[in-house]
Amino acid sequence: MTAVDDKPSAVAAPRFGLRPSLLIPLAAVAFAAAVGLALIAVIGVPVADAIAAFVDGTIGSPYALAASLNRACVFALVGFGFVLANRANLTNVGGEGQIAVGGIAATAVALYGHVAGLPLGLAFILPTLAAVIAGALWGGIAAVLKVRSGTNEVISTLLLSFIGVWLLYWCVQSPALLRKPMTSSATLPESLEIPDAAKLPLLTGDYGFPVHLGLPLTLILAVVVGVILARTLFGVRLRAVGLNPVAAYRAGISTTRTIVVALSAAGALGGLAGALMLLGEQYTLKDGFSSGYGFDGLVAGLLSRGSIPGVIAASLLFGFLRSGGINMEMTAAVPTALVVVIQGLIVITLAGAALFIEKWERR
Amino acid sequence: MRSASLANVVDVAAAPLLSLSEVTKRFGGFTALSEVSLDLRPGEVHCILGENGAGKSTLCNVIFGVYQPDGGAMTYRGAPYQPSGPADALAQGIAMVHQHFSLVGDMTVVDNVLLGRGRGVLNRKECARQLARLGEDYGLPLDPFAKIDDLSVGERQRVEIVKCLIRDPQLFVLDEPTAVLLPDEIASLLAVCRRVAASGRAVVLVTHKLAEIKEVADRVTVLRGGRTVVTSDAPTRDIDMLVRAMIHGDVAELDGAAASTLGLGNVEPVGRQPPRSKVEALQIDGLTVRDRQGVTRLDNFTLTVDRGEIVGVAGVEGNGQSELAAVLAGMVTPTSGRYYLGETDLTGRSPKEITAAGVGIVSEDRHAVGCVLGMSLAENIYLNRLDEFTRFGFLNRTALQREATTLMQRFDVRARGPGAPFSSLSGGNQQKAVLAREITLPNLSCLVASQPTRGLDVGAVAAVYGHIRDACSRGIAVLLVSSELDELLSVADRIVVLYRGRIMGTCAADVSRKAEIGAMMAGQAQ
Amino acid sequence: MSWELFAVFIGSSIRLAAPLLLAGIGEMVSERAGVLNMSIEGMMLMSAFASAVGAWATGDPLLGLLIGILSVVPVALLQAFLSNTLRANQIVSGIGINILVLGATTLAHREIFGARSRAEIPGLAKIKLPLLGDIPIIGPAVFEQVWLLYAGIVLIVITALVLRYTSLGLAIHAAGAEPKAVDKSGLSVTFVRYGVVLLAGLMAALAGAFLSIGDIHTFTEGMTRGAGYLAIASVIFGKWRIGGTTLACLLFGAATALQFQLPALGIGVPNALLIMLPYLMALLAVGGLVGRQMAPATLGEPYRR
Repeated sequence: MTAVDDKPSAVAAPRFGLRPSLLIPLAAVAFAAAVGLALIAVIGVPVADAIAAFVDGTIGSPYALAASLNRACVFALVGFGFVLANRANLTNVGGEGQIAVGGIAATAVALYGHVAGLPLGLAFILPTLAAVIAGALWGGIAAVLKVRSGTNEVISTLLLSFIGVWLLYWCVQSPALLRKPMTSSATLPESLEIPDAAKLPLLTGDYGFPVHLGLPLTLILAVVVGVILARTLFGVRLRAVGLNPVAAYRAGISTTRTIVVALSAAGALGGLAGALMLLGEQYTLKDGFSSGYGFDGLVAGLLSRGSIPGVIAASLLFGFLRSGGINMEMTAAVPTALVVVIQGLIVITLAGAALFIEKWERR
Repeated sequence: MRSASLANVVDVAAAPLLSLSEVTKRFGGFTALSEVSLDLRPGEVHCILGENGAGKSTLCNVIFGVYQPDGGAMTYRGAPYQPSGPADALAQGIAMVHQHFSLVGDMTVVDNVLLGRGRGVLNRKECARQLARLGEDYGLPLDPFAKIDDLSVGERQRVEIVKCLIRDPQLFVLDEPTAVLLPDEIASLLAVCRRVAASGRAVVLVTHKLAEIKEVADRVTVLRGGRTVVTSDAPTRDIDMLVRAMIHGDVAELDGAAASTLGLGNVEPVGRQPPRSKVEALQIDGLTVRDRQGVTRLDNFTLTVDRGEIVGVAGVEGNGQSELAAVLAGMVTPTSGRYYLGETDLTGRSPKEITAAGVGIVSEDRHAVGCVLGMSLAENIYLNRLDEFTRFGFLNRTALQREATTLMQRFDVRARGPGAPFSSLSGGNQQKAVLAREITLPNLSCLVASQPTRGLDVGAVAAVYGHIRDACSRGIAVLLVSSELDELLSVADRIVVLYRGRIMGTCAADVSRKAEIGAMMAGQAQ
Repeated sequence: MSWELFAVFIGSSIRLAAPLLLAGIGEMVSERAGVLNMSIEGMMLMSAFASAVGAWATGDPLLGLLIGILSVVPVALLQAFLSNTLRANQIVSGIGINILVLGATTLAHREIFGARSRAEIPGLAKIKLPLLGDIPIIGPAVFEQVWLLYAGIVLIVITALVLRYTSLGLAIHAAGAEPKAVDKSGLSVTFVRYGVVLLAGLMAALAGAFLSIGDIHTFTEGMTRGAGYLAIASVIFGKWRIGGTTLACLLFGAATALQFQLPALGIGVPNALLIMLPYLMALLAVGGLVGRQMAPATLGEPYRR
């Protein structure tokens, strides 16, 4: 708690990198972490044990580290999408559904697209592309509704999330869709495991440190999205449409095209995140596949205040939080819901501080 | 002139109702009011005269408790007056009609009047009776159960006035109330002011129109740059002095157009050469716009503008000018009719295609349509031509800033630099930047400017007209939409008058025909 | 379909629509005054949890309901503070509150009941309406509901009357359509908007309590499952009118009821599709509207003088 109180005095030196846009998110995270620690104490778990379990689950082993990094990639991709669409003043809260449809498409192509024998990595590239397209279409629905009927994209992407998640449930429940052949009544409602050729290659080839191709891909996309936003005409158009769509249209910018492209791109990144989860880690599609990662990515995007390095930092944070949280539940009996509490606090604190940050930056 | 029966004798010796003593108000580093002192007496109509930005609205808002002064003191009915907010001011008997209406459009007149008055269950019938009584007393007829959205601008203002009068205020402040009214409506508003003053209350009328001062003022205080320059007890006698005080210069030195926006109708327009060619540039044929409710906003509008000609569109706001400009800008598709630039049919084309065809547009609402406030000056000044600075999708910011700097110099746009946020520029500089963007289109052949001088100070007004005349002399066809008749009379070659979406008549822009044009603006056919 | 099944379908439609209706009407009033509460979902979940715990701990469902209502007050105050005083983005702050409440209730549920417990919780009583409840077949199926539902209907009628006939109703409408007019008339926009968020919180609290101690007499983690978002969709679909919002809620309730009815009729529609149906209908409903002319002019925009 004291971390929050200490910050304002340090804020007084804006020229030396300690900008409030950086400090306040840090303070929010520190505040939320402090509340988290207090809650652990309230639950009655020795804080030292919980911290030990947390550290063990994040960087305690190469496996844990890799799992955290892979998670961070998923969050980052959704976060990039959020930031991109948000530049056009669009709030994409549909990451959860976009991950789900991405996972469905990747599974379908990996299992039934006859990809196993294809050369040049097409066996995993094609399912990935399918996921990207599925995600783009899912985001595109919200865009079309917005352009055609003026439907607020927040409500439509949220509803699409629920629909996507239940669609996935349907896919793994129905043998006519992606459920594995029912051999007995005990057959789990999940898909077959995808062929080895369709799995994303591990960077080290070592299952002890299973960081997959998604990591370099995410880093490349970080640069691409960053350059698009900062250096291209499209980036300026996104900003113009976001700040004043009427003036942008008068100046010859197609607002409808900009909105459709922005939301579709955000959806595509969400779909890609789903592909990484399925092809890189889980290998079978199960109910609850998206596991709230879409919301984590959204929070990472919010936390970043529009900056790509910010998304990466927040994604790493949440990747470690998730991994550590899971290990805390398994070994120290601290429910993972604690991590959700921490995320909620971060979002609320930042939402409340946004006005202050903006005022400060305008000075 | 004022009728003798209504003229009341202001008792100069009477104690002032409200007096301000060295009131100062700052916004950040900007001093909006500096040591303003002022007495308001019961029974007088006190006009506050000043240019845009002189601090008139700030002064009203300080009196009404919207802003708390940073220095000085106010005394009301002999006691210190420090209103904590508008509610407090209202409770103490001070009411204000603001420049911009704040009425709830989808509520009835009665409901708007009842808002904030009384508790519990509404008594709409009793309120309607009160409205009827007030309407008779002050000459403010209103249908109490009409929806605000269905009322004309003049009627809406009546609602605002009635909302104040029903509270029986001792001091009645009106901030630029006549800007949106027809000549007839202005006359009746001024009559209302006189009646209110005659009942022993004080009326503060903010204006920049000298005609109104001659008509109604008992006393006038001139504000300039946030300071009180002079107060006159005999405004009609002192009129020249007041004008000089307001603009701090000699009347004769003023640009004719700029002067006429102040209401100095007797200033001759600056000599301009007649149109050079009779080549039609802009041809508008029967444009009709119906809104979603099916109401005809623009009705069969037909007009041609020659190259090198300035045609003014006159009319009280809300009579179809906005729709006309929106159609020409490509923001609205007309219900019927066509519009051509030379041989090219531009009807229903997108803004992008219209810009490409060579039509420059200065929108009436600068902040909503003309610019993106959150972006830089350079981005705004080339907003419609950013692709010229783009290769393979990448924007060349260095070239953009360089070209923007050139335009800034040519059009005298003052800012920290091309990278300055557009929102940091003054209104005049913003407007110059928008003009620069639209006038420097490579193949410009027509310029449509709507209310281009609204909210600008005299210097910026002169600059804007300079650029428009300059464009005209290069053979550009100019369509100038303005609700300020005096400004059109001095700038345009021809004037068409819009009333309820129809052209009431066309005539040469000649000061001697001002009365005739005014009648057309009020709906009398030529 | 037999008459019995049809009556059961109507009855369960109303029962399933009830939480949407309670939350939806509260949200509609709030949106009319210009505040968008994405946090309805979180408010409902908070009350569902707190009233379940309260009823379980005290053994009295009425006390549980009271605790549920009290538990939402801080949540609603937080939302009101963020969206009015701090002028935060109402969507972001609402979603943040939802995340926080989801985490907090799940955490507390685990701590109190353990991971998989389904403790039996005393629930609110059902009341058979006189006369109507005696109609054969229809009576027991339709007019024998939890009393909270009847209380909710009374509240909704009162809300409608207040909006239409009182000065408070004028102030609420004007705060959303033209807040400046409210300000200049001497009322406080902030006061009105705090009030409507608290009202939305109260109604969402009733809705949440209905879910846990009214309907199924237990609490499950994240049991609202997007009902709050459906309530918001029903406000949009209902064009910010009481009648329209009520119809939209009944429609979504009926879509949910199909889940239980169609299998009973032996119609082989995938279960997942039926669960999805209310969300799908909400999307179609919201997406089918053209423009947002009906929305309060300043919806979602914090007021600044």
